Amino acid sequence: MKKTLISLYAVFTITLMIWGFYQAIYVAPTDAAQGQIFRIIFYHVPSASVAFEFFAVSLLGSVGYLAWRHSRPQWAQVADAWAVAGAEVGVVFCTVVLTTGPLWGRRAWGIWWTWDARLTTTLVLWLIYVSYLLLRRFAAGPQMLTLAAVLGIFGALDVPIVYMSNRWWRTQHPAPVFGGAPGSGMDKSMLGPFLWNMLAWFCWGVFILILRFSVERKHQQNAAAEALEALEANA
Amino acid sequence: METAAALDHRFLIAAYTVTWTLQLGYLAWLGLRWRAEKRAEARRTKAAR
Repeated sequence: MKKTLISLYAVFTITLMIWGFYQAIYVAPTDAAQGQIFRIIFYHVPSASVAFEFFAVSLLGSVGYLAWRHSRPQWAQVADAWAVAGAEVGVVFCTVVLTTGPLWGRRAWGIWWTWDARLTTTLVLWLIYVSYLLLRRFAAGPQMLTLAAVLGIFGALDVPIVYMSNRWWRTQHPAPVFGGAPGSGMDKSMLGPFLWNMLAWFCWGVFILILRFSVERKHQQNAAAEALEALEANA
Repeated sequence: METAAALDHRFLIAAYTVTWTLQLGYLAWLGLRWRAEKRAEARRTKAAR
């Protein structure tokens, strides 16, 4: 039953991705100012949006782990699995943002990178979560999960700063398309393809987030069983 | 010299290719990790019998 549901969701997501690609390449009109290169928006912006959402999942998981680590260890394990899944999948999407952005910037601005507030805070966000993953990978001991949870919470504090950076400061990065100054927004002919891609990337993200969560749960179960066997062997 | 439109096209293809390479590469890595965990579980179950 579970396998069938996952397979159905995978088919739905892949169909949505193909539809989103068709919308981005063939349905959305060419931008009058930027030409074809603006089509990067259909991958760049949804990836940023999904990264933010998954870092929020990591934040909730980290808070849950800290809250339940003594009182409800089983719940804390589940919360920790969500925290690491959110952080890791968020890093993948943030990497997409940090590679498609410079490709777009090189054609639109003539430069690959600039140390403006939006770009710099995004890079810092990526570095914080990469260090979170490295900490989990290489540190050991009973305090490791607690330290990782604290780092995950501090990392998530950068998300609103990234989001607001091009509202608070003057940046090379364009002003917000949505929810920005009066008159900002997107032409209706581009809005449809954009929203399809937002939905498609969100569904894809949820798909790999669930897979990553399942891998972590299986890893936790294996580690717990091995620890129990070691204890029994020593007894 | 390449026209601006041709360069835009190349950069667009590069951006889409990088995105899919990262996403599918990560999916493949997840698949390998899942398989490793399942094998570890099977080994343990076999040893317990």
